[in-house]
Amino acid sequence: MTGWIEKVTGPLEEKKRYRQHRARLRALPEPYRTAQEGVERYLMHAGGMVGGDSLVRMLDDLDEIFAGAVADRTPVRALVGEDPVAFVEDFLSGYAEGQWVAKERRRLVETIDRAAQADPSVPDGEAPDGEAPDGERPTSGGGAS
Amino acid sequence: MGRQMTEMLKGTLEGIVLAILAVRPAYGYEITAGLRDRGFTDIAEGTVYALLVRIEQRGLVDVERVASQKGPPRKVYTLNDAGRTSLAEFWGTWSFLAQRLGQLRAEGQ
Repeated sequence: MTGWIEKVTGPLEEKKRYRQHRARLRALPEPYRTAQEGVERYLMHAGGMVGGDSLVRMLDDLDEIFAGAVADRTPVRALVGEDPVAFVEDFLSGYAEGQWVAKERRRLVETIDRAAQADPSVPDGEAPDGEAPDGERPTSGGGAS
Repeated sequence: MGRQMTEMLKGTLEGIVLAILAVRPAYGYEITAGLRDRGFTDIAEGTVYALLVRIEQRGLVDVERVASQKGPPRKVYTLNDAGRTSLAEFWGTWSFLAQRLGQLRAEGQ
């Protein structure tokens, strides 16, 4: 999928974008700079990002949010809210594909798919979550989804 | 604001923002002001901005950058066809939930 050119230029492009991000952060007025540094520290330590494109995109987006707050004169507290952790966790949820745990999430889904397919308690051709006729419920398996 | 309200808003904020944009295109700060005016206080503005980033990436809004006298250009968000489809789906889900919950409530009274 990735050619050798992208293998070389991709990371270079990301490095460039990362340097631009650092420069924007340094230029940010206080107290926004301290706040964004705090948010970023949390993202780096607790975000579980593998790096690469989603990480750089995440930092770019964060820059935009903070730059927007400066432009709109939104106070730091109003921007981040009473629960800064909740704010950052919500922000982070937009970049789930860039977290190392994404691989494990996919693996879990595939494993359960395999296990469910081999499940002897589900007769062939019967959808486990299918609608039961006349309001009757299957006595086992299925269950509300 | 109660924890329950926070949790419920988490699942509905996107629909609420799309609904606000269905009224007219708006800047980010107009959207947060619109939320406050409608009684949705205590939502961190950053949460709304992060949501705007996400719905832009998912192609639910068209974005136009407008130069401002001070600071970076501001973005105007306009609901597009994909956004209207998503909003219609949200209202469908909302009606379904409201109806089923109303039924459940009536059963227990």
